[in-house]
Amino acid sequence: MLDRDLVLDVLRAARVRGGDFAELFVEERSSVQVRLDDGKIEELTSGVDRGAGVRVARGTSFGYAFSNRLDRVALLEAAAAAAASVGDEGPGSVVDLRTLEPPVLHRAERPAGTLPAAQKVQWLREVDDVARSFSPHVRQVVAAYGDSVQRVLIATSDGRWVEEERPRVRLFVTVVAARDGVIQTGLHGPAGLAGAEFFDRHPPARTAEVAARRAVTMLDAAPAPAGETTVVLAPGMGGVLFHEACGHPLEADIVEKEASVYAGKVGERVASRLVNGVDDATVPNAWGSFSFDDEGMPARRTLMFEEGVLRGWLTDRIRAAKLGQPSSGNGRRQSYAHPPIPRMTNTYILNGTSKAEDVLSSTERGVYVTALAGGQTNPATGDFVFGVSEGFLIEHGQVTTPVRGANLIGRAIEVMSAVDAVADDFDTWEGTCGKDGQGVPVGSGSPTLRIARITVGGTGA
Amino acid sequence: MPDGRGARVDLTVLCAAAVEAARGDEAIEAYAEESRRTQVTARRGEVEGLTFAESRGIGVRLLVGGRLGYAYVADPELDEVREAVARARENAALATEDEHNVLPEASVAEPIASLFRESQASIGADRKVALALDLERLATSSDPRVTKVEQAQYGDAVSRVAIASTGGVAAEYARTDCWCAVVALAEQEDETQTGFSFRVGREIGELDWADVASEAVERGVRLLGATKPPSARVPVVLDPFAGSSFLGVLAGALSAEAVQKGRSPFAGLEGERVGSQVLTLVDDGRLLAGPAAAPFDDEGVPTERTQLISAGTLTGFLHNSYTAHRAGTRSTGNARRAGYRSVPGVGTSNFFVPAGAASVDELLALADGGVLIQDVSGVHSGANPISGEFSVGATGLRISGGALAEPLREMTIASTLPEMLGAVVAVARDLRFFTSVGVPTILVGEMTVAGR
Repeated sequence: MLDRDLVLDVLRAARVRGGDFAELFVEERSSVQVRLDDGKIEELTSGVDRGAGVRVARGTSFGYAFSNRLDRVALLEAAAAAAASVGDEGPGSVVDLRTLEPPVLHRAERPAGTLPAAQKVQWLREVDDVARSFSPHVRQVVAAYGDSVQRVLIATSDGRWVEEERPRVRLFVTVVAARDGVIQTGLHGPAGLAGAEFFDRHPPARTAEVAARRAVTMLDAAPAPAGETTVVLAPGMGGVLFHEACGHPLEADIVEKEASVYAGKVGERVASRLVNGVDDATVPNAWGSFSFDDEGMPARRTLMFEEGVLRGWLTDRIRAAKLGQPSSGNGRRQSYAHPPIPRMTNTYILNGTSKAEDVLSSTERGVYVTALAGGQTNPATGDFVFGVSEGFLIEHGQVTTPVRGANLIGRAIEVMSAVDAVADDFDTWEGTCGKDGQGVPVGSGSPTLRIARITVGGTGA
Repeated sequence: MPDGRGARVDLTVLCAAAVEAARGDEAIEAYAEESRRTQVTARRGEVEGLTFAESRGIGVRLLVGGRLGYAYVADPELDEVREAVARARENAALATEDEHNVLPEASVAEPIASLFRESQASIGADRKVALALDLERLATSSDPRVTKVEQAQYGDAVSRVAIASTGGVAAEYARTDCWCAVVALAEQEDETQTGFSFRVGREIGELDWADVASEAVERGVRLLGATKPPSARVPVVLDPFAGSSFLGVLAGALSAEAVQKGRSPFAGLEGERVGSQVLTLVDDGRLLAGPAAAPFDDEGVPTERTQLISAGTLTGFLHNSYTAHRAGTRSTGNARRAGYRSVPGVGTSNFFVPAGAASVDELLALADGGVLIQDVSGVHSGANPISGEFSVGATGLRISGGALAEPLREMTIASTLPEMLGAVVAVARDLRFFTSVGVPTILVGEMTVAGR
């Protein structure tokens, strides 16, 4: 993307006033989005984006400057602007740049960019047909297809030269069902760091069917009961909760700000001993994976909880240095327009030994949550809230009436300590995680798990 | 004006190049923008982060025979603009024909005086850094229980937008924006609470940062010792922070796009009572005091004031050119895009509940035994904009004897939008804007507050 001499000049300019290290992040991204709504292909967009950001770090402070010009003049200007944020300590060194070999590759077997747009349109038409024929109550189908290729070059003053191509594909289906004045929505959106082969394993028709089933099922939903109860989370959903309630407070910038509920608790039991949790960027072709993070550190698997004991933080370079440990490879950014910060990748609760059917059948009363609409957490207090987009009552060990308008509310440590069963039916859920105004692709995953007591907010008695 | 550097092609020239590339019966619209942003984060008396950003790009919308294709490119040269037109043309060929895909006709948008402040555009980084440091110092020096912040931040943007089309639209404007925000951490023994405050303005002098700091501190400190309340149906007072979250959900439901696609609980209710008599809701793109002020919307249609709910009656929806054509009405100047990368949809400009007559104390006196909600979480996941149902997490304070009493946490409030709008009892006069949404303190009648 850029020649090494220019990159070296930019890094030297960035270190003109010192600092701990300087880094150049260059990106080119081409993307295609196709959207079907109301039976119509209403939008096809193709885009080309590019830009470069220069960062100079000193302690936990940084200067960052970016532009979408990649010429020498613009890059040197950005370097000078970023350098201005550090006090003048005299020029720092720039080590010879060495190309690093990726610890894991996530290749697209059939790059989505090589497919004709007509094929993508065809998938969306199929989604529309399948969802509409699922039930006469289906009123609206929105299907959004997207693919992108992000090519990055990361070079640092301590000698890293990393190049990576990240292919991403996603199909997101929203189905609205209505009957007798009741309107419900069902969503499903599998995604991968892969090419068109992803849709062999996740056929568009199946995605359509899952979203349609969710919407139609919820037509029969009764208002959720409010109060404390037992909750069983279906495969994947425990991972969403784990991401929000535990993952965010383990991000090292939050810890470093002393705004984490887990601060000072490494080595302590903070969850049930049934809970083993990892953040793993090496999972082949998973949505939250990469070969190198956005600071050029190799992808890794990091142990977060081991039998309920807190094992460590998710770090970027700046926070790892402050903690006196190597980076865990969690420095990520939305694009060249953002400085990297500690982020999750694929955050999983690992399989236990229970059987999902036993977990349900041994639950006298409670709520079975099969889809979460997303959530929010306050990392300082551990307070979180999640909307339940598809849930059912559990009565005498049986999954019965669907419930609507429910949410789950609680505190991270109490709720994770209340986990009393973990099954062996692991599955994943893909999303976009927002933090500090930056969205990055993340995966969550878990088997079926049960929380003995948690507050459910709802409108029912 | 972002000075760019001399070598850069002006936005209006880029737009003209796209429009000139139209063939035969094609209609083309080009939207170009450029911005220069600065953001400073302070912590522990030092600059934690200083970011300078320059970006620009163009998006091309091409219509032919009712089919729409779109393409964008960052910081293009003229030949790349023409390539984008070619890609938009290829995309249009595969799209479904829709007779309502139209570009707006050219009309003159009156400029909004003082949207752009030369003095703001020329402020040096030093002054911005000093402000952020001062903001943090003020937040951490007024109360012994607040010794640190999660965030103290100053940010600003100088931006420029240009639009041109084969329909004769050719318009541009420039604006300055700035803001500051504090998240204070209040601590007592093992407990931590957060308090947030935020201000927006056109220039630095409009930001009362001492006030931002003290408000963040107060909002954090007053939650210390919070407990989970018993579940009950009680009167609820939404302070502007909490109210603004709900307004965000309402904004989606009042767009004509949502109505036409069967995704709004307000579909078919125009002219009918949808809220209590004290509730009025307005969108006004020309309100200078509102952060979203602009002379024209994101497809070049002049902005205006639109009354959406008048004394409880639904009086209109937000329209862009597409939804207006489909509904046989005129655009309200509410075309919105997330930037040059996106096709214009329908969105709010300055969307607000006008100030009422009551004071906040008068509202509290009417809500004895109820709760003041100061923050809600999970609105985006916990609210269904289609059915209008929601259930969200909340923190706040008990109202006792007309005054704020003990703090409450880990509660949820659940209702439906129509029910909540109908239950509004009184609106206070403390209107304030959060980004583009503005709301005063509001007393809602009874709602279900779930706790233990």
